[in-house]
Amino acid sequence: MTTLLHPGPAPTPRQLILNGIFAENPVFRLALSLCPAVAVTTSVLNGLLLGVAVLAVQVLSSVTVTLVRGLIHPRVRIPVYTIIIAVWVSAIDMALAAFFPALYAQVGLYVKLIVAFAIIISRLEVFASRQPLVPSFFDGLGMGLGFLLALLAIGAFRELLGSGSFAGHAIAPGKPLLFLTLPAGGFFSIAILMAFFNWIEARARRGREGSAPAPRAAAGGTHGV
Amino acid sequence: MKPVSREVVRIAASMTVACAAGAAILGVVYVATDRYREASALRTEREAVATMLGIDSTTTVVEVRQYLEPARREVIYRAAPFGVPGAEGREVVFGLDGALVGAHALPAGEPVAKTLEPLGRVFVAIRDGRAAGFVVEGEARGYKNFIRFFVALRGDFEVAGVRVIQHEEDPGLGAEVATGWFDGQYVGRSAEEVARLEVTRDPMPEDWRAALVALSRRAPGSGAVHDSLLARERAKPIYAVTGATISSRAVTDGVRVTVEHFRRRWALLAPHLGGMA
Amino acid sequence: MSRSGLWLAAALTAAGLMLTAESAGADDTRILSARPVPPDGIRLRFSAPIGRTDPANFRVTTAQAPDIPIAVLAVEPGPGHRVSLKLSEPVTSTGRYRLDVSDPPLHREVNPSPWTLMLGVFLASALINNFVFTRYLGLCIFFGVSKKRDTAIGMGITFAVVMILTGMLSWAIDSWVLRPLQLSFLQILVFIGVVAFAVQLLDTVLRKTHAALYQRWGIYLMLITTNCIILAVPLLNATAKSGSLEALALAVGSGIGFAVALFLMSCARERMELARVPAPFAGLPIAFALTGLFALAFMGFSGLDFFR
Repeated sequence: MTTLLHPGPAPTPRQLILNGIFAENPVFRLALSLCPAVAVTTSVLNGLLLGVAVLAVQVLSSVTVTLVRGLIHPRVRIPVYTIIIAVWVSAIDMALAAFFPALYAQVGLYVKLIVAFAIIISRLEVFASRQPLVPSFFDGLGMGLGFLLALLAIGAFRELLGSGSFAGHAIAPGKPLLFLTLPAGGFFSIAILMAFFNWIEARARRGREGSAPAPRAAAGGTHGV
Repeated sequence: MKPVSREVVRIAASMTVACAAGAAILGVVYVATDRYREASALRTEREAVATMLGIDSTTTVVEVRQYLEPARREVIYRAAPFGVPGAEGREVVFGLDGALVGAHALPAGEPVAKTLEPLGRVFVAIRDGRAAGFVVEGEARGYKNFIRFFVALRGDFEVAGVRVIQHEEDPGLGAEVATGWFDGQYVGRSAEEVARLEVTRDPMPEDWRAALVALSRRAPGSGAVHDSLLARERAKPIYAVTGATISSRAVTDGVRVTVEHFRRRWALLAPHLGGMA
Repeated sequence: MSRSGLWLAAALTAAGLMLTAESAGADDTRILSARPVPPDGIRLRFSAPIGRTDPANFRVTTAQAPDIPIAVLAVEPGPGHRVSLKLSEPVTSTGRYRLDVSDPPLHREVNPSPWTLMLGVFLASALINNFVFTRYLGLCIFFGVSKKRDTAIGMGITFAVVMILTGMLSWAIDSWVLRPLQLSFLQILVFIGVVAFAVQLLDTVLRKTHAALYQRWGIYLMLITTNCIILAVPLLNATAKSGSLEALALAVGSGIGFAVALFLMSCARERMELARVPAPFAGLPIAFALTGLFALAFMGFSGLDFFR
């Protein structure tokens, strides 16, 4: 499995992080954990808070799994992973509620729902249960960062065009496209951003004139889980 | 059969251990963070109350909580210095018809009986032994869910400010009721004017909107500007947020009911608070 | 297993009805029913004729302000010991009020009928606050299984059944164990455990007893664990401290709301197969845009005045 994901010699931390941000970006490439990508991205700050929460849960769960995997019976692997994730999510949920009450009030439900995010458990199963501690840490870091940056990008897009502000500071007069901050606007924002990334990739591929092997199915392919 | 059952036992044991360990970790985290959560909730409220009332060092704030005792059909007010642990308070009990049942001192840390249903809270600012202002907590059903807000009143019940503290309205539409320019429209209206307050869908005049936006960015209570504008607009209805008439109406009705109820309750309660007000 | 889920639901509904049917009053004359009737009325039914039907005989307040009476403008006696009160302030069908009668001395809470309440929560969770279109939950599964109508229907039904089962189980644990013992910080851990348990249970039972059913719908069961709606419903119920009826209505409503969303989307996506889509938009992006259009359409349900 690992060799399928990363052919060649053991990946360096830098490769692992870049992999999470670009090649296997959870939102734009793997199309996983889309719910918060639409739900909390009406502003940059909301996206930042949830992104940091996911980053923390991913890294902490990956590290925990590599540390305790010797003790886990293989038949109950997935339930135990779920417990580990649930514990970290609860802990971070409580910490955010205690230290960032104002922001937490807006994204609280989605922080709790990190438990059901497919991206986290799939990284545990695919990577952290097979790799040593250090690569697992950087893989979790890369995935979390990829998620965080995707949320920031969508949040910035919607806040800039929808409310004419950035991180709460008004920079444009009025509201250019108020529609984008509405519930329905979130779906259109993601459609536009995904199409934009697909377009960039198609251009890059054409630039290489097909010398490199075609990249894996892009965001165009839907992944069930 | 034996190896299988041994394996089942091992699986069950490891799941139990995992759950117990998880629960134990969460218990520790809960105990560690709960103190901070309460403290920061208190701090947010203090800050809101202080800025809305323009608190200085000569002012003390008394928090009054109102409860219903359903079986005895009594309304109970418990007053205590706000955010001062260990301070003695006062309890005043009325019948539902407004007849005084009793008033007595309340020892610090007296627990609230489980049968009491909380009805609401008021913060009273006391300066030179007199009630100089109030912050009343209110609630209204908005477009999606309840909107919670604070209404600040001067001693003569003129509105000093409105602040939405919790809502689930749509960003860009209903959520605009939480912005300073919308809430600024209530400021300076007398209790009689609030009782007749209505909402209009007319567009807000541009100069008034600009003035409200400018006011909302200044420190509260930093003096009245645009006197002629205020005089012109104060007699008019509240301008609804474009595309969010229901949310605007909900806040306006909520403010009206909150102020009206508070005035009637305060008339009953004030004489019995003893040394507190 | 779906049958025992229904039994559980029926039993809880019956228990809820019995609780709400309880009425207070004197020995001989009782208030049999009291309901708010929008725009500004309260309708009462007594067990026997009452002496006075002048407005001063009745005192009505909201549940939130029991000390501030709302003026009763007129009292209209009707057939069968019925009395209608006309109030000076508007009432809502889901509002809670308190009523006192001085002669004979009676007290009564005026609550919306359980059916009104359930219908309200049901409609709200299925349409007004549809989880997919306005709360953006369950999107991974939503995009994953909405390509074909058959799979969409299969997933929709399986999901609704599991939703009701886990929703009621979690509600029972939360209101009878976690909240009384002040263990609410274990919510997430317990709820995800309930979901995993229910899915595993259904999987095992279905495989052993209804092999045909399992062959058809078993594959959707495992997907459900990673659907955030399944966790959102218990969490929302716990936050709102819902009663049994509201919890049931929320579970049913969100299950059906998700199934409806899946079905609509699958119909539209089958058509999209034939459409010519610009290359960068092919696949998921156009599906997102389509969902955006549905979300716009569902915004129209917000205007339903049912709740106010």
